Amino acid sequence: MVPVEEVQVLHAHWSSDSITGYINPKFYIDTFSVDRVPCQDPGLKQESKQHSCMMLSSFRFVIGRSPTNSWILGLTQGCNMSTATEMTHDVVPYKLHRLEQGPDVQVKCTRDEAIKYYKQMRTIRVMETTASNLYKSKIIRGFCHLYSGQEAVAVGMEASITPDDSVITAYRAHGWTYMRGISVKGVLAELTGRSSGCALGKGGSMHMYSKNFYGGNGIVGAQVPLGAGIAFAHRYKGEDSVCVTLYGDGAANQGQLFEAFNMAKLWDLPAIFVCENNGFGMGTSAERAAASTAYYSRGDYVPGIWVDGMDVLAVKEATRFAKDYVLKNGPILLETATYRYHGHSMSDPGTSYRSRDEIQEVRQTRDPIGKFSELATSSGLLTKEEIKKMDDEIKKEVAAAAEAAKADPELPPEELYSYIYKNPPANIRVRGCDDTIWGATK
Amino acid sequence: MATAAQKICSRLSKSSVAFRFPSLLRSEVRNSKCHKYLQSRQISASPAVYGTIKLDMPSLSPTMEQGNIVKWHKKEGDTVSPGDVLCEIETDKAVISMDTEEEGILAKVIVPDNTKNVKVGTLIALMVEEGDDWKNVEIPAEAVKPAAAAGSAPSPATATSSTAQTAGGAAAHAGADLAGDGHLIGPSVKKLLQEYNIQASSVSPSGPGGALLKGDVLSYINTNKLDKKAQEAPSPAAPKLASTPPPPLAAPPVGPAAGENYVDIPLTNMRRVIAKRLTESKMTIPHAYATIDSNVGAIAELRETLKADGIKVSVNDFIIKASALALQRVPRINGIWENETLKLSPSVDISVAVATPSGLITPIVFGASYLSVDQIGNTVKELAGKAKEGKLQPHEYQGGSFSISNLGMFGISDFTAVINPPQVAIMAVGTSRSVASMSGNLSKMKVTLSYNSCAISEVEATRFLEEFRHLIEHPQTMLAGTNLDTAAEAFAF
Repeated sequence: MVPVEEVQVLHAHWSSDSITGYINPKFYIDTFSVDRVPCQDPGLKQESKQHSCMMLSSFRFVIGRSPTNSWILGLTQGCNMSTATEMTHDVVPYKLHRLEQGPDVQVKCTRDEAIKYYKQMRTIRVMETTASNLYKSKIIRGFCHLYSGQEAVAVGMEASITPDDSVITAYRAHGWTYMRGISVKGVLAELTGRSSGCALGKGGSMHMYSKNFYGGNGIVGAQVPLGAGIAFAHRYKGEDSVCVTLYGDGAANQGQLFEAFNMAKLWDLPAIFVCENNGFGMGTSAERAAASTAYYSRGDYVPGIWVDGMDVLAVKEATRFAKDYVLKNGPILLETATYRYHGHSMSDPGTSYRSRDEIQEVRQTRDPIGKFSELATSSGLLTKEEIKKMDDEIKKEVAAAAEAAKADPELPPEELYSYIYKNPPANIRVRGCDDTIWGATK
Repeated sequence: MATAAQKICSRLSKSSVAFRFPSLLRSEVRNSKCHKYLQSRQISASPAVYGTIKLDMPSLSPTMEQGNIVKWHKKEGDTVSPGDVLCEIETDKAVISMDTEEEGILAKVIVPDNTKNVKVGTLIALMVEEGDDWKNVEIPAEAVKPAAAAGSAPSPATATSSTAQTAGGAAAHAGADLAGDGHLIGPSVKKLLQEYNIQASSVSPSGPGGALLKGDVLSYINTNKLDKKAQEAPSPAAPKLASTPPPPLAAPPVGPAAGENYVDIPLTNMRRVIAKRLTESKMTIPHAYATIDSNVGAIAELRETLKADGIKVSVNDFIIKASALALQRVPRINGIWENETLKLSPSVDISVAVATPSGLITPIVFGASYLSVDQIGNTVKELAGKAKEGKLQPHEYQGGSFSISNLGMFGISDFTAVINPPQVAIMAVGTSRSVASMSGNLSKMKVTLSYNSCAISEVEATRFLEEFRHLIEHPQTMLAGTNLDTAAEAFAF
C-alpha cells in the first residue's frame, strides 16, 4: 500500500449498501460500497453493516491507494464527532432554606459549554497536580493549598456570573484565580515566586488577585465581611453586579460571618455567600466541628440552597438562580457539598483524619471531572476521542506553563519597596528590609 | 496527570470500533501520517517514549533534603490510579506514604526498597500510560548516575551485582587457580575453601559463567554453620574487606548477621545534623586558638570554706561565673557574627555543653554575669537533668552568646572545641592538675579559647583570657558581685 493520507469526511451519505464520502477538497468525492467500508472485521455480521454505516458519520476515515490502484477506505480509531448538540441533565435535588422555589432540577448544557467546562475543570486539576509536584521538588515553597476535587464549584459559579461580578475567596485560591482570568502561567509563576506571577511573585499561594477578584485571603473567614463590603460597593455604585464570597466549612463556625450576614441582610446587599463544604476544616471533620452541618440553613434569616458541589451543572444553575435572587431580594447562602483530595496544605498528608479508601471512593464515584465527562460522553455531547485530545492539550499547555514559571526571573530586591505607598517618599526605607537596598521611588 | 476522565476515556476506547478493526489498522495504516491518530494505547506496540512519567524523590517535609525508601507498595507492571500509594518514604521526621496523581502503569522501580539517603529530586521510578509496553520502558541516562552516585548507600541490588562483578573480575585477574570444572578460583576464595576445608564442587557458584565467588563460599559457610579448621596463624581480617557477602535484601542491618563480627549502627539524624553544623563551622569560620594556664588553688580553698558554711558549688560553676564576668569586661567576645557584622549581645548567655546519650547539647545559662555562683550551679544542675531526660525546650538551648565545653571534669587535660555559630568563641576547659613549683604543688587548669578571627583579634582574645585567669585566681572578686565600673569601662573599649 502506498502512502496513506488521513482525511476527514466532511459529510457523508449512506444507503443500505453504499456510502458517499465528501472528503477533504484536496481529495475527491467517491462512493464506496458498504462491502468496501471496513467491515473486514470478522465479528461484524452482514446484517449489522447498515448499523455500522450509521455510526460512520462520527469516525475519521482513511483513504489510500492499494498496489492494484483501487481505493481503500478505512477508518481510524474512535468517534471524532459528537452526535448531540445539547443535553438535559437531572441534578441531585437541591435543599432549600426559607425559599419557596429553588433552581431548576433539569439543567441544559450545549456542546460548546460542555467543552468549556470540561477544559476549565481539567486545567485546574492538572495545574494543581503540577503545583503539587513542583512543591515536592522544592521549587514552590511556603504555603500551598490545592483545589483538586473542588473544581466544579469555581467552574460552575463562574459560568453563571460575569466578569463585572466580584469574587472573593479564602486561601484555597488557585482554581478561582484561573477562573477569574489569570493564565496557568500567571498562577504557577506566582507560586514559584517569579515576576510573571499574577502578583509579581510577591503573594504566593494565598494572595492572588485579578480584576474583580479580591483574592485569596490568608486570614480564615476574614474575606466574608470584606465580601459583604464589596457587595455593598456594587449596590452603592448602582451596578447590577453581585459579589460571590466563598468560605469553608471550618470558617463557617466563626462569629464574623454572622455579623456579615446580619449587615448584608439588613441592607439587602447583592451578596452570594458560598460555603464550600469540603468536609474538613483543616484536619477536623465538619461533624466534629459544627453543631449544625446544614450550612445552607445557618444564615437563619438569610435564605439558603444546598447544591451538589461535585456537579458543575448543578452549581451553575444554583448560581444563576442565586444571582437573580440577590439582585432582587438581598443575600443568599449556597452550600456546595464538595471534597478535597489533597491534605489541607502541603504539610498535611491528608490521611491521618480520614482513610485512603474514603478518598479513593470519592475519586471513583463522585469526581467532578470524571462524572461530567461520563455525562457528556453518554449523552453524545463529547466523544472520548475529543476528551483524550483535550486532556493531552491541557497537559502540554500546563507543562509549558510550569517550565515558563520555573525559568522566569525573580523580581530584583528593589521591588521589596514597591507597592507599599502610592507616592513613596524619596529614599524610603522599610523596616525588616536589607538596608543596603534602596527603594525604587518611581 | 490523567484522572478519572481519562480512565473512562481509555476504558471506553477499548470498546471503540477502532479496536474492533485492529488488523486493518496495523497492516495498512501504521507508519503513515495518520499514525498519530493510531497511537491508541491499546494497539501501540512500540516501546513507549511518549507518555513516560518520571517520578522523582519528593520532598515530603519542609526540611527534607534526602530520605529513605522503605517499601514499594506497587510492583513493576501494576496499574496505578490517582490517589494510590506508591511507596513509603522515611523523611527526616516520619515515614510518609507517597501517593500519586498520575494514572498508568508502574513500569520501572529505579530505587528499590530499603534504600537510604536518596536525595530529593532523584529519579526513583518510571510510569507509562495504560496500554503502553511497560516492560520495554526506556530508562533515562540520568537514572543510572544518581543511583550509583547517590553515594553513601547503593541499593542492595546494585551492591549485589557490583560485588559479584568485582569478585568475578578479581578471580579472573589476581593469581588464580582452576576449579574442578575449569573455572578460575580467586585467591581469597581459595583461602576460604582451605580454611574451612570445603570442596569447591560442593558450593554452587553464582558468578559470571558459573564462576565461584567468595560470597558463595561465605553463604555456604553460613548455611551449613561451618567452623574453621584449626589455624596455625592468626587469621587476617580478610572477611571484613571488600568482598563480604551482601547483606540480606529484606532486613536492614541492625544487629550482627550470622557469620559477621561487626555491627552497623545507622547514622542518626541528630549525629547527621551535628556533623553538618561542625563541618560548616570549620569550613566557614577561620578558627584561631589561645590557651592559658591558671592556678585553681584559690578556688579549691574557697570551695572548702563555702562547704563548711553549707554552700556547695563546683569548680565548673566558678568557671562559668568567671567567663561571664570576663565577657562583661571584654564584650567583643560576647557577640554574634552575622552578615559579616559583629553584634554585641546585651546580656551574657552562656551555652554549656552537656553530654547526652544521643550527643552533645548546649542548654543556656541566661544572664550568667548577674547570677551568683550557687545560682549558676543550680541552673546548670537543672538544665543538665532536663537535657539527659531529653526534656529541654527549644528556648532553653537555642541562642546563647558564648559556649563553654568542660571535658576537664572527665579528666581531659586540654583540648580545642569547634565554634558554635553564630557565636564567635567557645572555651574548652581542661582538668586541674598538680604542677610542681618553688612554693610547693600548684593546682593548674588549662583553658583553650577557640575564636572567630574575623570577629575577634588576638589582642581581645588575650585580654579575655587574662581577665578569666585573674578571676579564677582571685575567686573572691566573683563572690563580691559584678564590678559594674569595670564593665562600663570595658564597653567603652
